[in-house]
Amino acid sequence: MLAWLGPFIAPFIVLNAVIGLVTYVTLLERKFAARMQSRVGPYRVGPHGLLQPIADALKLMMKEDVVPTAADRGVFNLAPIVFLIPCMLIFATIPFAPGLGVADLNIGVLFFLAVSSMEIVGLFMAGWGSNNKYALLSAMRAVNQIIAYDLPFMFAALVPVMLAGSLKLSDIAAAQQGLWFVFYPVIGQLAFVAFVVSTLAAENRVPFDILEAESELVAGFRVEYSGMKFALIQLGEYAHIVGSSFLGALLFLGAWAGPGPEWAGPIWLLLKALVMFLLVTWVRWSFVRIRVDQILALSWKVLLPSTLALLVATAIVVVWRHSAGA
Amino acid sequence: MPVPDTPTRPAGTEVVTIVRAVLRAMRVTFVNLFRKPVTVHYPDVTRTYPNRYRGLLALVYDPKTGEEACIGCRLCEYVCPPAVIKVEMLKGEKRNYAKTFSLELYACEFCELCVQVCPTDAIVMTRSFDMPTADRREMLLDKDRLHALGLQHQPSWATGNLLREMQGPPRMTRSEAHAKKGEETPAGETA
Amino acid sequence: MSTPALARVELDYSGGERLTMNMGPQHPSAHGVFRAILTLEGETVVGVDAVIGYLHRCHEKLAETLTYAQYPSIASKTDYVAAMTSEFAYVLAAEAIGKIEVPRRAQYLRVAMAELQRIASHLLWLGTWCMDMGGALGGGATIFLYCIRERETILDLFEALVGARLLYGFYQVGGTRYDIPTGWAETCRRTLDVIEQRVAEYEELLEQNPFFMARASGVGVISSELAQEVGIAGPLLRGSGIDFDLRRAAPYSSYQDFQFDVPVETAGDCFARYRVRMQEFRQSIRIVRQILDGLPDGPISSRPGLKSVAQIRIPKGEAYARVEGPRGEVGCYLVADGSAKPYRMKWRGASFSNLAVLPHIIPGHKVADVVAIMGSVDPVFGEVDR
Repeated sequence: MLAWLGPFIAPFIVLNAVIGLVTYVTLLERKFAARMQSRVGPYRVGPHGLLQPIADALKLMMKEDVVPTAADRGVFNLAPIVFLIPCMLIFATIPFAPGLGVADLNIGVLFFLAVSSMEIVGLFMAGWGSNNKYALLSAMRAVNQIIAYDLPFMFAALVPVMLAGSLKLSDIAAAQQGLWFVFYPVIGQLAFVAFVVSTLAAENRVPFDILEAESELVAGFRVEYSGMKFALIQLGEYAHIVGSSFLGALLFLGAWAGPGPEWAGPIWLLLKALVMFLLVTWVRWSFVRIRVDQILALSWKVLLPSTLALLVATAIVVVWRHSAGA
Repeated sequence: MPVPDTPTRPAGTEVVTIVRAVLRAMRVTFVNLFRKPVTVHYPDVTRTYPNRYRGLLALVYDPKTGEEACIGCRLCEYVCPPAVIKVEMLKGEKRNYAKTFSLELYACEFCELCVQVCPTDAIVMTRSFDMPTADRREMLLDKDRLHALGLQHQPSWATGNLLREMQGPPRMTRSEAHAKKGEETPAGETA
Repeated sequence: MSTPALARVELDYSGGERLTMNMGPQHPSAHGVFRAILTLEGETVVGVDAVIGYLHRCHEKLAETLTYAQYPSIASKTDYVAAMTSEFAYVLAAEAIGKIEVPRRAQYLRVAMAELQRIASHLLWLGTWCMDMGGALGGGATIFLYCIRERETILDLFEALVGARLLYGFYQVGGTRYDIPTGWAETCRRTLDVIEQRVAEYEELLEQNPFFMARASGVGVISSELAQEVGIAGPLLRGSGIDFDLRRAAPYSSYQDFQFDVPVETAGDCFARYRVRMQEFRQSIRIVRQILDGLPDGPISSRPGLKSVAQIRIPKGEAYARVEGPRGEVGCYLVADGSAKPYRMKWRGASFSNLAVLPHIIPGHKVADVVAIMGSVDPVFGEVDR
């Protein structure tokens, strides 16, 4: 009778694990950033701040739900959900170990990229529905920026796909048994750098966080959100970052390869994803942001042609390897 | 109106410069990761406040006679810029006293002018600011409260005579006050 | 007061492409309480209307009710970031009218504190400017916290000297109120060494950083003609190629005894002003070191021992005293009438005059540049509104 529950168990577990991971990753970021700034970060809530994310979650749940009078209620209320769903859905294709994942699709990478681009809809809904000029400005910038950077993101992610010959994430992971793609001469490193830069921009991280830009737009598209809706948006953002970190670890850093027994694979994957996350955080806390027209120029004039050229070069290398090797 | 140009595709050497600059910046933040944090975990840990710290105000007793040092002369009331001090004098046979002495601490600017003018070193500032309260009325200090604060917290170095002496040759010597505080030059004070 | 300003703003929603946006008094990077009504076309600012007055506290009237002994403690509150500067201007004006001699030790101490205050103020400027450009949750906050960490060491110096960290009351008519305690000079030297090294670290973090350069160079260019026309002063003037520093041009309080350079840059953009202020760090450190090496003995005040509120009386006369503050020329115009209170006092606020340049340089830039320009102009609204 409970057989129909079967397909729901794995997603349920993964979803909860992801939410737990995402909340604690915020604590990791705060402590890491604090140490870089000669301070200690959360310290008092729980030993060394370990209960801080829980306190934050409880606080956000208990806050009053404020909707601006002139806001478009339907759009305003729906936006966090529409923003959150794609950010959670990307975890469907991530295999945490060979065979251990919700759905290891044949088109894993494509699914990831396609779904993660959908969050722009939620973002724009949030900006529009808030009936606030700051939010609108931010939403317009968001559409520009995320669309501009999704293309280099895809091209950078396509380099490991071409090197492995498959869109399926477990195949790509398996193809890195010998050499991690990040160590692949020249092409691997360039692709990794392009991947990191595009990730930063597609997730509104400094130096590309002109969307939020606290000092100008005071939280941008999120400015009118408080309480649980804000928590959903925050969750979605960090879930996207963590998801991209997992993707980066799978595509470039050798997935679950690492010394030790087989069952330690997921732990290695988690560690590598955290390394990617810390790299993103390190960049975030070191640089000032650049203007939106400079961001767009960087994407269209620099990153896109470079990643296209990189893709062509990868294709040449793959064909040459095939004809020379097998 | 000149508007800055958006960046065009960089030449090869420019890319190298950019990459090197980016890495240099990241190295500075990385180095700071390993420096000791400067956080002082107040209130579990407090730092020591310097000798001359301008903390809470207090009235003190004369160290030699044990009586209240305040003679109710009202000089502090007149000098206070936001006029937070209110004093009423009580005339006595040998000396005067302050009948009432109220200080509105919530409006006090902590400028130390009252300490500077006091002829008898009666009002001092202490080396602590520790008086958290949820009710502003608790910050309206009356004479008993001020004397209690004087006993509770450690007074700063600065008293009227010492400040005036620091600024120039002493006009009004109170050798008792000097002897109490120890040997001092105008350029310093003892620990 | 605000109606004429609002009347000039075109509230045009008739389908045109202009958006009027309020960068209101409550804003993370308004540097205080500053309201700018921006007219935007897309992302480009085409008009700026500045509304000030949110921090007006009637300093000039207050000075008429407080005596010369009381007001220096209050003068700190105009430019609260660089409190020593305002006190300096006021007491110089009073001494100029009363022809009061200030002992040499007091003059040297005044200069030392003014220069230390300049270092502290520039540290705050650098931190807040980078925070405006980089976000409170981002790289800007990192530099902000580093700068505050260094500024705290200077405030510790002031605390050991005066007892207070932000608003001092160190200057008094005739000299200074406090003398340096034993051991202060040693701590000061050590602090200056640390700050010199850390300033080099900030430069490494920022200069040639492509993100920072993209935000700062070429942005907010003030041509030297505009600079002279509009009446700005301080690093804004020196960043546009005009070599004018009051410490050189009209030396006060024995500045002529010290050797220091006046940094001048010609580009006139935010980066040039940044360079000017970074070099001013080093020159101020140089001046303080010279003072510590050669501090003369003697009294610290020629009107010592305040014993009553009306002790200092200044005879009839008027004077305008100017001081080179971290933001520009801080001036105090004082009219004395022989009593213990001035008849009239007027502040020339450095930030107030510097803000006049904004409507000339902001239009044409993007919204993000408004923040960068405001930061490099470095207003403090205590000085603007008084």
